[in-house]
Amino acid sequence: MEILLNLKNQICSLGVPLYAAFEEIGTEGTGGLWSEIFLRCSQVMKEQRMDAGSAWKKAISENRGLLPLESSDWDSIDDFGELLGKSDRYNQEAVLDMARESIAVLEKKAEEAVRTKGKLYRNLGALCGAAVVILLI
Amino acid sequence: MWHERDGCERFDELISFYLPDSIKTAVRGIKREYLIELEELRIRAGQPLMGVFAGFDRYIGRDGFLSDNPQFGLIVSPKEVDNLFMLLCEHSVYAYQDDISRGFITLKGGHRAGICGTVIYEGNNIRGMKDISSVNIRFSRQIKDCARDVFGHIVRNKQDIYNTLILSPPRCGKTTLLRDLCRMVSSGTGTSFKGLRTAVIDERSELAASYRGVPQNDLGPRTDVLDGCRKSEGIEIMLRGMAPQVIVVDELGATRDPDAIKMAWNAGVRIIATAHAYGLDDFKRRLGIGQLAAKDGFERIILLGMDNGKRWVRVMDAYGNELSGLVKIDRLSDGIRGLYGIRDEAVGKAGRETACLIKTHGDPA
Repeated sequence: MEILLNLKNQICSLGVPLYAAFEEIGTEGTGGLWSEIFLRCSQVMKEQRMDAGSAWKKAISENRGLLPLESSDWDSIDDFGELLGKSDRYNQEAVLDMARESIAVLEKKAEEAVRTKGKLYRNLGALCGAAVVILLI
Repeated sequence: MWHERDGCERFDELISFYLPDSIKTAVRGIKREYLIELEELRIRAGQPLMGVFAGFDRYIGRDGFLSDNPQFGLIVSPKEVDNLFMLLCEHSVYAYQDDISRGFITLKGGHRAGICGTVIYEGNNIRGMKDISSVNIRFSRQIKDCARDVFGHIVRNKQDIYNTLILSPPRCGKTTLLRDLCRMVSSGTGTSFKGLRTAVIDERSELAASYRGVPQNDLGPRTDVLDGCRKSEGIEIMLRGMAPQVIVVDELGATRDPDAIKMAWNAGVRIIATAHAYGLDDFKRRLGIGQLAAKDGFERIILLGMDNGKRWVRVMDAYGNELSGLVKIDRLSDGIRGLYGIRDEAVGKAGRETACLIKTHGDPA
C-alpha cells in the first residue's frame, strides 16, 4: 500500500511522468523485489519507449518465478499498469484507488489462505501478503 | 539551414525519441537538402503525412519521397496518431495535461507539438483533450547571431538599451529575432556593451522552449525565464522578485498587456517585445496596445518582412524615422531557393510570401 500511495503522490500531486515515478519508487528500495520490478519497468519505458501496461507486463514476466503468488493473483497484478498514464490526473487517481482496492482484496485472500491452510503455508502466506501489501501501498 | 547551425542534434533526437516507426522512416528518407528546410510535420489521422518546407507544404511518402500529389503521401492511421500522442506525452498524459489544455506540448529539444482532438471541459475551463486527430510538430529554430545587424540600433549606451518593439506579419521571424536579441542583451558584446539582467516571460514556451524547467534555447547567462505565465502577471512577478533590467515578452495583444508594460517602464525596466502587425501604423491602430508605440512608448521599432524571397528588416525610431535602411537578413533561412528548382520558384515564392510580402510590401511605415 505504501508503494501505491507514493505512486499516487508522484502522479496526482507532482505530475511526474511514469518512467520517472517508477524510477523514484524503485530507487527508494523499500519494496524488496517490487522495487526491482518498478526499476525494471522504468528502464523498459525509457529505453524502449513502451507504454506502462506493456512495460509492467514485461517486468513482471521477468520476475514471475521469484514471487510466491497464485496464477489468479498474477492476472490482477499483470493488469496493474494497463490504465496508468493514459488519462489526466483526476482519472489516474481513480485508477490508483481501484488498484488499491483490488490489492486489498488480494491481501485479504492471502490472509485467509494463511488461516485455512494452517502452519504449512503460514510463512508463504505471510510473505505473499507482505509482498502484496508492499505493492499496493 | 537551421539544422546545420544549431539544431542538428536536437532534430535527430526528436526523430528518434518521439516519432512512431513509419513516420520516422519517412522523415529519415527525405533528401538532406530538403530535410534542412523542414519547418513542420503535419500528421492527421487518415490523411497523408505532410511536411512544411520553408513556408509551403509537400506530402511525404513512406520512403521520404516528396510530392504535391496526396496519393504518394504516407497515410497515417488514427492508431498511429494516438501512438504518436502517447509518445509525445512520454506515456504520461497527466504530466502534460496543462500543456494539452493549452493545445500544445513542448518537447525535449525545444520543439513543439500542436494537437487537435475532442476538447474536454470542466465548467468553463478546458480540462484536456481526447481522441487526438491531428498533430503539428514545429521544429525549434534558434539561429544565433541573426540579430547581429540590428542589435547596435537598440543599444542606448554600454549599460542600457532602448525599449524595442518588433513588428511583422506571422512567420517572418519575429520570435527568432527576439530570442537572439535576448541572448545578446543578456550576454553582452564585450567592452562595447555589458550584459544586462534579463527576464523572459515565456507565455507560450516558445522563446526558451523549457522542457521540464530547463530552457532548451540559449537566452544568455543573465536570463531568468518564467515559463507558461501570462505576460501581465509575469511582468509583475519578475519585477517583484528578480529585479530585471530588461524584460522580454513575445506577442503583445492581450487587453492587460499595456498596463503591465507601463508598470515595467515606471519601474525603470526596459522592454523588448514583439507583436503581429503589418507596419507601425497598423500597430498604432490597435485598441489598447497601439498606445505603446506613441510618444514615451517604445523607442525603437523593428519591422520584419519578405521581398523576392529574401527576409528584410528595418529599424526605426518612435516617430517612424528610419535608422537602418533596408537590411537583408541572410542569417535567417530563405529556404525556398534551396528547396525548389527554377520550375517551382514561382510557386515557392507565392507560398512563402503569402503571409509576409503582400501585406508588408509598400507599407507606409
